[in-house]
Amino acid sequence: MAVTGKLVVNLHNLARFTNIAVPLLAGLFFVSGLRISFYFHFLSVGFLFLTILNAFYLYGQRGHSLLRNFGILGQGRYILESVGPELRQYLYSNDTEERPFNRNERAEVYRKAQNTNSASSFGSQKNFDSTEVKVRHSMFPIHKSELKHTHITFGEERGCANPYTLERPFIISGMSYGALGESAVRVFARGAKQARILMNTGEGGYPKYHLEEGCDLIFQIGTAKFGVRQSDGQLDDQKLRDLVANETVKMIEIKFSQGAKPGKGGLLPKEKITEEISELRGVPIGEDVVSPTSHAECTDIESAVRFIAHVQEVSQLPVGIKMCVGLSTEFREFVTEMKRQNVFPDWITVDGAEGGSGAAPKAFMDRVGIPLFPGLKRVNNILTELEARDRLKIVASGKLVGPGRQMIAFCLGADVIASARGFMLAAGCIQAMQCGNNTCPIGITTHDPNLQRGLDITLKANRVENYVNNLEHDLVELLCATGCRSIQELSFDHLYVPKDSTLHTYIINSK
Amino acid sequence: MKSRAPSLILSWIAQIIAIVIMGQTLYFKFNGAPESIVLFTELGMEPEGRMLVGILELVTCILLIIPASVTFGAILGSALMVGAIIGHCTVLGWEGDRFYLGILAVSVLIACSVILYIRRYTVPFLGSALHGDETPHEERY
Repeated sequence: MAVTGKLVVNLHNLARFTNIAVPLLAGLFFVSGLRISFYFHFLSVGFLFLTILNAFYLYGQRGHSLLRNFGILGQGRYILESVGPELRQYLYSNDTEERPFNRNERAEVYRKAQNTNSASSFGSQKNFDSTEVKVRHSMFPIHKSELKHTHITFGEERGCANPYTLERPFIISGMSYGALGESAVRVFARGAKQARILMNTGEGGYPKYHLEEGCDLIFQIGTAKFGVRQSDGQLDDQKLRDLVANETVKMIEIKFSQGAKPGKGGLLPKEKITEEISELRGVPIGEDVVSPTSHAECTDIESAVRFIAHVQEVSQLPVGIKMCVGLSTEFREFVTEMKRQNVFPDWITVDGAEGGSGAAPKAFMDRVGIPLFPGLKRVNNILTELEARDRLKIVASGKLVGPGRQMIAFCLGADVIASARGFMLAAGCIQAMQCGNNTCPIGITTHDPNLQRGLDITLKANRVENYVNNLEHDLVELLCATGCRSIQELSFDHLYVPKDSTLHTYIINSK
Repeated sequence: MKSRAPSLILSWIAQIIAIVIMGQTLYFKFNGAPESIVLFTELGMEPEGRMLVGILELVTCILLIIPASVTFGAILGSALMVGAIIGHCTVLGWEGDRFYLGILAVSVLIACSVILYIRRYTVPFLGSALHGDETPHEERY
């Protein structure tokens, strides 16, 4: 250790001093209690306890090296660290630096959900440097009355027996009952019904509460096939038929992969498995539920396409797939195989790697999969090149909580936007990031009745509806600004893509 | 890491014992019963010390009743009882009635220790160090 004559705080020395001073003071106060006043024993007892605790830190426990080396003063670090996230979130982080959603992004959703004025003042806080994509407007914006409708009909391309028409291009993305608590499922389902949009059930087994609320549903078949599973993990056709007999189950989505953890199956931590969930999913209580990494029926591209055809045949409903893009060559082969078998899913949900999850391994959340915008552009390009774009719809998902990013996704080829966290924020999510612990302070991702109590279902369902109304309002205004009369007229050319953007490589005919 | 049900019941029994013993002495302390005044006069704390200790014991009882603060109550309670035992050892002695009072203090100290042992994983500053190497991926590392 460097010897200096300067006055510096040397934490090592301070800790050593404290470790000797604490028992010395305990003795000193004890003597004072005997000789001067009994009141000193308040201090002697306090320091006696500190001495015992410190001895335990230094010589008893082995789990924390810092405490073993420095004793009670080392606790200071843990105390300060434990209040760090709150201090940063409340006080020190600026409005544009938090992840995954910064304060500005969250506030925009809150304002839309609460139907309050969303005009900003003075100027944008976004970057106008060489990374951010912007939308190109027309010199001659059109009027709302000139717009074509935004209806999207799933299943029309292949003449499906029961096509489904979505009035507004928004879907509540897959969140299972299990990830969500009962109240949250009801909030989203009721809100979806009021807003006349679709809700995806997630891979949570039989959609009991969704059906009770009566909104239009996409039933998601995850890799574990909760709700429609045979004991060997294969699809149980009869269970699927029984399920789609419910009138509100409008479409089926086969989940191949999810942006938050592509290449991994779903994960429901043991803290969140109640008796009811264990029954609805057919899983044991007290263990994490880990879905398989892939469908038992899908071992290669050929069998995957055959499985899509099989589900379409059994369900007689529009059937889509959800995937996060990994290898472009693999996707190209996948589409080629679809053409060969003449089987196309009715839509593809392209999930970006930035997508959310209640529980995912950190490495997968952070490092696996292609982000939404380049992934979406790639999918759209490959489908167009192979002349398959007009055989299906594209649904985009991955942090699409505000109209700005949604508009970019539309320009990149999306027909419909799916979002989960957007609707969670609309229902009051404060981004406490505790979705996997069953301790959500808002009561959305928890089964604790005391926490769910805070979530007023009627009020929050209205907020979900407001959010959709205002998203559509902004979408209409943005469309008018571009001069396009429908979402389908939007194209890559409506985007200004600067040099350092991930999309820059796709610029062919730059304007 | 939650305590299992039987040990939680034991903890509640210990809590009730501690509350009953401490609670009934409060009556004498706050009412200024002659025996209580004699005790605190000998300690040189009459009357402020009597009130102060009484208030702290009342706080302890309240903390021990509310489930979220039981461990805090047990810490405060054991500290007060260690103080009482020091009093008996250094000033008050153990003869006659004093022995009975001293044993009550020891009983409360044992009850608080039992509570702290059963709930050791939730004790502030102690819990995480106790299971530090058993659950390495918990919030502290």
